[in-house]
Parts: sequence; structure tokens; C-alpha cells
Amino acid sequence: MITPRALLEKSAPLLACIGLLCVWQVASLTLQTESFPTALEAIRAIPSILGDKESLVNIGASIRRMAIGLSLAVLFAIPLGLMMGRIKGVASFFNPLLMIIYPVPKAALMPIIMLWLGVGDVSKTLVIFLGVSLPIIYHSFQGGKAVEEKMLWSGAAMGLSAPQRMWRIVLPSALPEILTGCRTGLVLALITMVTSEMIARQSGAGNILFNALDMAQYDTVFAMIMVIGAMGILFDAAFEKLRGRLVRWSKPQHDMPLSFS
Amino acid sequence: MSVVSLRSDAQAGSEPLPALKPASAMIEIDHVSQRFQTSGRQSHLALSDINLTIDDGAFVSILGPSGCGKSTLLYIVGGFVQPSDGAAKVKGKVITGPGPDRGPVFQEFALFPWKNVLGNVMYGLRQQGVKKAEAEARGRKLLEMVGLKGYENFYPKELSGGMKQRVAIARTLAYNPAVLLMDEPFGALDAHTRTRLQNDLLTIWERDRKTVLFVTHSVEEAVFLSDKVVVMTRSPGSIKVVVDIDLPRPRKRAELLLDPRYQKYVVDIEKLIDDTGEDEIHA
Amino acid sequence: MNPALNKVLLGITPIALFLALWQSLISFGYAPVTMLPPPGAVFLRLGQQLFTSDFLHEIAATLVRLFGGFGIAVVLGVTIGLAAAVSPGINAVVKPLVRVMAPIPKVALYPALLLILGFDHASKITLVAADALFPILLSTYYGAAMVEQKLIWSAMAAGTPRSQILFKVVLPAAMPSILTGCRIGLVISCIVVFLAEMITSTDGLGHMLVQAARTFQTVDMFVPLITISMLGLILNSLLHGLRTYLLRGFPEV
Repeated sequence: MITPRALLEKSAPLLACIGLLCVWQVASLTLQTESFPTALEAIRAIPSILGDKESLVNIGASIRRMAIGLSLAVLFAIPLGLMMGRIKGVASFFNPLLMIIYPVPKAALMPIIMLWLGVGDVSKTLVIFLGVSLPIIYHSFQGGKAVEEKMLWSGAAMGLSAPQRMWRIVLPSALPEILTGCRTGLVLALITMVTSEMIARQSGAGNILFNALDMAQYDTVFAMIMVIGAMGILFDAAFEKLRGRLVRWSKPQHDMPLSFS
Repeated sequence: MSVVSLRSDAQAGSEPLPALKPASAMIEIDHVSQRFQTSGRQSHLALSDINLTIDDGAFVSILGPSGCGKSTLLYIVGGFVQPSDGAAKVKGKVITGPGPDRGPVFQEFALFPWKNVLGNVMYGLRQQGVKKAEAEARGRKLLEMVGLKGYENFYPKELSGGMKQRVAIARTLAYNPAVLLMDEPFGALDAHTRTRLQNDLLTIWERDRKTVLFVTHSVEEAVFLSDKVVVMTRSPGSIKVVVDIDLPRPRKRAELLLDPRYQKYVVDIEKLIDDTGEDEIHA
Repeated sequence: MNPALNKVLLGITPIALFLALWQSLISFGYAPVTMLPPPGAVFLRLGQQLFTSDFLHEIAATLVRLFGGFGIAVVLGVTIGLAAAVSPGINAVVKPLVRVMAPIPKVALYPALLLILGFDHASKITLVAADALFPILLSTYYGAAMVEQKLIWSAMAAGTPRSQILFKVVLPAAMPSILTGCRIGLVISCIVVFLAEMITSTDGLGHMLVQAARTFQTVDMFVPLITISMLGLILNSLLHGLRTYLLRGFPEV
């Protein structure tokens, strides 16, 4: 039997959403400016976005770019990070470089990258790739570094070669930390995607937002914000489920600046 | 009104200690039980119907195996934990919360890392409204008493374990509590530092004979330091026996270690703890 | 060798390496000068610009938004974080709100902010505050929630009333965590203010970059980028210095 208290806790996020929407509704009714539609008006505009073919194409393109950027980053960053963690030479080589690139906002490189690679998919995907790679490299590095030596010795004693040890011991034991990096990467991917589309307007969800802004379709602006927000929440929830499955055996992780875990 | 419970092998008919203070109850623990909620509907009985009276000026050790609730009992007297049943009183008043009449010293030292040594010691004084200059002077004197003159401006992180515990003791003594509550205070220290601090504690205690409640799992430590040893059963903890330690004071370690009475106390009490049914490996 | 000197050198090395890499890309012909100007040219231009009131005005605009947003994020984040750590009631309200709002890219709210607050400082300050808030709030919360129980007990036994525990024990004990959160928040603030100005603005460093891009002035594009990076580094070191002073008693983690 689920106690009423447990029920309240489980539905708390949903209640929070409803609460926020209520605050919005009240605020917009009080301010009564044309450019600030009520929550209900915005919600009513959502179906028309989702029903519009062009919007769907845009959103699809956004998700596609995000997916490609993320996949490439994962494929590239995890092995690099793990190798940095295990082999001192690799770490010393890449560390200084990464320390410099880290604080630079990758989306801010958009105009420069646009100058070199044009306004299309490639530049946006590249920016997402760059933005996502860094946290994944960092966390894979930390995870790889922390693998207990004794585990590897046991593996070597059992006859595993170096690549085998990497795949069958280092990777699984570093997995919790790697997945923390992936979660940060996912959050950054979403942010970079939207931002790059706001800067280099051409296609995508960010583009829809600003088109609507330019055309004074205020309902659509707010509706699109809700769509993007929902995407963020859905992706994050899906990822957390996946992470729970993959590392059921590990201690709970505190993703410090991301959220209550 | 000291508690005289079953005394299995301890010396029968020993004289009560000549009291330095008129015997009066400082701490009364009355039918105290403690139950902790573990998860959902589960709960764990940590203490079961504890009845104990501790006289003013007595040095009493609480001894028992791990998990028997001895620290919990100390926390109840300290007012940090509220008992599920029964009540503890200090000087006749029911304990509802912590206060400067019962000063704790913890195994983990619990020094404030953002204050230096002198700042830590002065804390209780400043809290009582003592002016800064006077608090500083009194703090320095206390530090000298615990052997840390010259370390006033150090930060806790720069000190060894033994030194940190000295600061902790000085900090607690600063606000002059009537009762000292010590929770395995020397447990985290190496053997050598431990014996030094035991000696120093007794020296400090002899000066004004505060009431001390001292939790430990070391039989030798308990016998060496105390007037009475309260032996607890394992979880759920209850009092198995209270043993009067009739050894003369001041106690000198070198003499005591060779004293057959001391040795007998240690052997007898160790047997008492063994009897509480610890698992054994049957070879 | 002098340890202080060592530290400084250690800090400069990555920057020196970066500049060397940058210069070599051009010298060795990997990048044409039209697309990637040499560091010398950029710094020269930066030096020239620093004496123009226009450029200083741009920097001022960016800094106003940066500090405004960061300041609000610190005040709100620390207050709410502490409150949520000590009060179960506030915790119950804050926790689900944060869980819902954290995964949403705050930059998506930017158009809404533009509509409600206009195109000048207010919308950007709000965006910066919204983005920097969560790391600070969460670090404060976790730092405060994990304060050693015995510290609080020691203070209470020494006579501290419950109402003062928050300021006298929890806040100082949580400082390392709070300052870590502030550092993350500061980095985020630098990034977000720059991006917001790039997306739409009439002044500021981000706007300078976009302007230069439109007119294909590559050197002028790099100047604001380098400026914001340097500002970030300077602010970071100041914060680090503050941290070292405030946390002088804490053991290094």
C-alpha cells in the first residue's frame, strides 16, 4: 500500500510544474501586456506547433543534430578520457589544451566556426560535439584514474591483455563516473543546441523561437519555450532511467550542480 | 544514593569512596528507552529501560560492546537526542535539550575549522557574553593548562589528533559545565597519545572534580579512570552490572598496572562483557 | 625554487602553450590569416581598443550584467540553499521545483525575458541569474545538509540558541561547498552574458563579436572573445584568492 506521504513525494515534480504554470497565469493576467500571454494561451498554441509540418522538421533537425553531436562526442571522448586516466603521457599532453578550451563557451565560437564552415548543420553539430566532449573527457579521465590497481592486476593475472583489461575492467568500473559526465554533456548539448540555433538562425527549435518573436506571435514563442523545456525534462528523465539500469550496482551519485539526485 | 546492582565477581563489601563532595545525585536516568526508526515500519530498539543515578563529582565510565547504545545514552544525557521513553534529569530538572551545564567531548573532536585554536576555546565564553579581551585571557590560560601554550593561532587542521582533543577539552572546560560528557574521546588516537591524555585528563579532573560520564569500549581505560564502571549488555542495551572501582586516587599508571586489584577488576569486567554472548569461532 | 613563483608559472604555462599553438597554426599555414588572425594582431588591436571609450563602454555594459546576474544568483542561491537544508518544509517545496527547472535550458526562456523585460540590461541580468542560480543553490544545499552533526551539538552545548545555529555553524561550515558553487556560477555567468549579448543586444562584448562577424572583421571578432576569456580568468583568480582567505582553516580537499 502506498502511503499518502509517498504519493505526495512522487507527484511533487508534477505539482511543481502545475504550481509554476499557475504562477505564470497569475503573473500574466496581472501584467496584462500583449507580449506576455497567459499560460493557457500558450498551452493552446502547442498543438498548432506540433501539427505544423515545418515546425516538426525544424524540431526534428534540432534533435538530429543533438543526437549526432552527442554520439560522436561519446565515441570520441570516452576512449580519450579513459586513456588519459590510465596513461600518464596522454594526460600530460592533452591536459593543458583542455584546460584552456574548457572555459570558452563553445556556442560563442559559433560566428567563428560559421566563418569557416558556413551556417548549416556542420557548424552547429560541431559546436555541440565540442561542448559535450569536454565534460565527458573530464569525467572519463577521473573515472579511469580511479580504477583500483589491484583489480587490474587480478585481470592481468587471469590472462587479460591490455585492450581486454581496458574494455572489461576499466570501462565498467569507470562507468558511473562516465555517466555523470554524460549527464552533464546531455544538459550542455541541449543548451548548446538551442543557443547555436539562436545565433545562427536557419533551422531548428531556437530558430522557431526567434522567428515567432520577430513576427510577434507571442503565443508561439511561449509555447515553443514550453516544448523545449519539456524536451529537457524528458531527455533528462530518460537518461536517468538508463543510468539507473546500467549502474544498478554503484553508490548514488551526487551530480553536484545539476540537480537533486 | 549510589546504585548498587548485582556485583558478580567484584569485591564484596568494599567501602564507599571518601566523598570530596556531599553525595547528591547530579544525573538521574529514569526508565529510559530509545527506539530508532530504521526504514518504513522497521524500528530498532537501541536502549532498553535504563535506570542509573550518577553522583556529583563521580567519574563514571559506560562500557560495552559496539552497538550497545552507550553513545546514545550519552547523547540523551547531553540533550542531543530525546528518549522514546522515560526521562533523564540533571540536578533534578528534566533534560530537554543541550546546554552549557553538560559539556561534550567527541571522538571526532568536532572543532570548528573556520576558527583557530584560541577562537575555538573562546567560543563558549563569547556565547555567554564574556567580553573579547577577557575571553581571550581565559582562553589562553585554559590552553596553557592543557599543554598547548603557543598554539593559539594555529588552525585545527595543523594539529595532531592528540592536540586537537586537548583543544576540544579546553573548549568544553571554558564554559565550565557541571558535567563532562565524553564519547570515546581517545578512541581515534594512537596508544601512546591515548595514555598521555588519560593521565592529563585525570590531572585536570582532580582540580575541580566535575561529574564525568565517559563512554569507552576499553576495559583498562574504564578501570583506570573511573569510580564506577557501568557495564552494558549488547543491543538492545541495558545495564548488566555497575562495578565500584575501589582504587586509591591519585592514580598513577605505572603503579596501577602492577596492582593486583586493578588487574582483577580488568579480568572480571572483561569476563562480564564476554558473557553478554559475543559470537565465538568454535575451532 | 620559490613555491609562489612555481604556482604562477604553473598557471601561465597553459596560456603560453595556447598562444604558441595559436601562432603555430598560422605560421605553419594550417589556417589562412583571413580566417584566423595571429595572436599578435589580436592583442595589438585589443591594446588599441582599451583606450577608446567605446570599447570601455562595451566592457562596462557586459560587466554590469555579469555582476548583476551573478550577485542575484549568489544571494538567492545561498539563501534558498541554506533554508532548504535546515527547514524540511522549505525543502519539500524547493526540491521538486529544482528538479523540474534544472534540466530546462534557461536560454530557451530568453525570448520570453526579452518580451517581458526588454532588450537591455534587465533581460540579460535575469538570464545570467537564472543560469548561475542552480549550481550555487545546490552546492549550498549539499554543503549545509552535510555539516557534521557533532559541530552543531558542540555549539549548542556551548550555549548557542537554535536560532543562531544557522549563522554561527551551518553557514561557516558549508563555506567550502558554497564557494565551489560560486566558482561554477561565475564561469556560467561569464558564458551566459556573452551568449545573451550575441543573440540579441545593442551593446556589450557579445554584441561586438556579432557586429564584427557581420562585417567580416576577423581581428575584431577575436578581440571580445579574448576579452571575456581574460575577464573570466581575472574574476576567477579573485574568487580563488577570496576562497583561500576565507577557508584558511579548512583542510584541503
